[in-house]
Amino acid sequence: MKFNIPIGPQHPALKEPISLRMTVEGEVIRDADLRLGYNHRGMEKLAEEKNWTQNIYLVERICGICSHSHATCYVQGVEKLMEIEPPKRGLYIRYLVSELERVHSHLLWLGVAGHEAGFDSFFMYTWRDREVVMDLLEMISGNRVHYAMNTLGGVRRDLDEIQIKKILDGLVVLRQRTEYYFKIGASEPTFVGRLAGVGYLSKEKAIALCACGPTARASGITADVRKDDPQAVYDEVPFDVCTADSCDVLGRTVVRIKELMESYKICEFLLRNLPAGDIAVKAPKKAKPNEVVSRYEAPRGENIHYIRSNGTERPERLKVRAPTLANYPATIEMLKNGFIADIPLIFAAIDPCICCAERTVELVNARSGEETVVRFGDLRKLAGERFAKSPVKRNAVWPF
Amino acid sequence: MTDLERLDSLKVALGGDILEITNPARRRIFLTVDRAKIASVLTALRDRLGITYVSTISGLDAGDAFEILYHLAEAAHGNVNVRIKIPKADPHVASVTPVLPGAIFYERELQDMFGLVIDGLPDPRPLITSDDWPAGNYPLRKDWKFERPAEIIPGGKK
Repeated sequence: MKFNIPIGPQHPALKEPISLRMTVEGEVIRDADLRLGYNHRGMEKLAEEKNWTQNIYLVERICGICSHSHATCYVQGVEKLMEIEPPKRGLYIRYLVSELERVHSHLLWLGVAGHEAGFDSFFMYTWRDREVVMDLLEMISGNRVHYAMNTLGGVRRDLDEIQIKKILDGLVVLRQRTEYYFKIGASEPTFVGRLAGVGYLSKEKAIALCACGPTARASGITADVRKDDPQAVYDEVPFDVCTADSCDVLGRTVVRIKELMESYKICEFLLRNLPAGDIAVKAPKKAKPNEVVSRYEAPRGENIHYIRSNGTERPERLKVRAPTLANYPATIEMLKNGFIADIPLIFAAIDPCICCAERTVELVNARSGEETVVRFGDLRKLAGERFAKSPVKRNAVWPF
Repeated sequence: MTDLERLDSLKVALGGDILEITNPARRRIFLTVDRAKIASVLTALRDRLGITYVSTISGLDAGDAFEILYHLAEAAHGNVNVRIKIPKADPHVASVTPVLPGAIFYERELQDMFGLVIDGLPDPRPLITSDDWPAGNYPLRKDWKFERPAEIIPGGKK
């Protein structure tokens, strides 16, 4: 007997409202079907009517968590079209903000993973510590969400000595806390047991379905745009690509904690080697007809912008692909043969937006057509109950 | 791998299928192929050069034709972009999902946004446009303009 469970469109544990229709047998998901577009804002069309500068602020509003990622991806492409070279100091500050954004995004994700796994103290710890980096970002840019740091030809705000000192101090705190989270993983068998084996995505599937970012890296793929296609400063900065080979939510957690440590390393390097000089050069109003492919490693994975100019003040075409779209085919694969109760955890594991996660799921009984509305919180409770009854995965260990 | 090595390996792998190949920037290669050969070209890239990752597929309305760019990426080199041109009078192109299953959402997006017909797509339903979206409206075509429908206030003035 099969049931159909529609999840969404107004049920997003995801960034955009999306509609998922699950086919389940008992509690096991056999198939998932996806429908997008409920939050489509027509930004690519709109971008063709705005000038190069206005578009920085437009693309920044694509996402509320990785806002700097889209703006940076766009700006580094347009700078190539305009044939201008931003000063070194500007680039260092730009990618410093990128890494701090990655830190805040990964800490946010860790909290969500803890919350969905029923480990709420972990969620509260990580979100409290996330305030440290949010305050740093506010100090640097004046904003907590849309930093508006980028401009064509550099950045808009400089750093002074006091700020650099404060950022370095903040990084010390964050590093200590992250080491503690790593220890929690190792010493908390229920947490590890809850995450291990959930949302399995084999390496072959991850390659075939073109997964990206931490989702791909947790399946053992060494793909990171910062290493493979280093933008601006990344070929000067020492850091490692973090991978895991357990192919499950546990792996995705470990990858993100390790990436936090790498990001602290990158931030410290950028601050200690911050060159003197200007932070921006003047950009022209128009760009010659040309095209550019700009790639950027956002916290969730590869972000790619294709920009075509036609000699005017406006782009001929701006194509944006955010990492979450690339990870949807892989998410469907992860959900297959998983449990209904694992849906929140698997969704959360590709790092979609979660501020809107407290919504309802409709459970439709295929035989009677009777609908029961279940709150997302109840679904999580269901997950906890199922896990309490299941045998403890004693062989699951935190990979050091 | 340097750009020159990658250009050479592309020329060896694809031979006469390449209509045009350029290398405008470091780690960026653009090559143009015939639209009928797109699936075989991507198969050759996958099997001979190991390029399995498609970042996205961009469409562009270039007047009397559509330009489609398949943005491929690989860890060893960077970014390879395969361009095809599709005349507006006959907007058909074969699906590449048999070669790269991860491309399905990008192809469905092209259908919705440009009105291309992707032949052989396993799931050709609309992906982005709403269920009541009027047929024949393809927003990213240059001649398409958004017109806000007149606001009707229930019980308001006629």
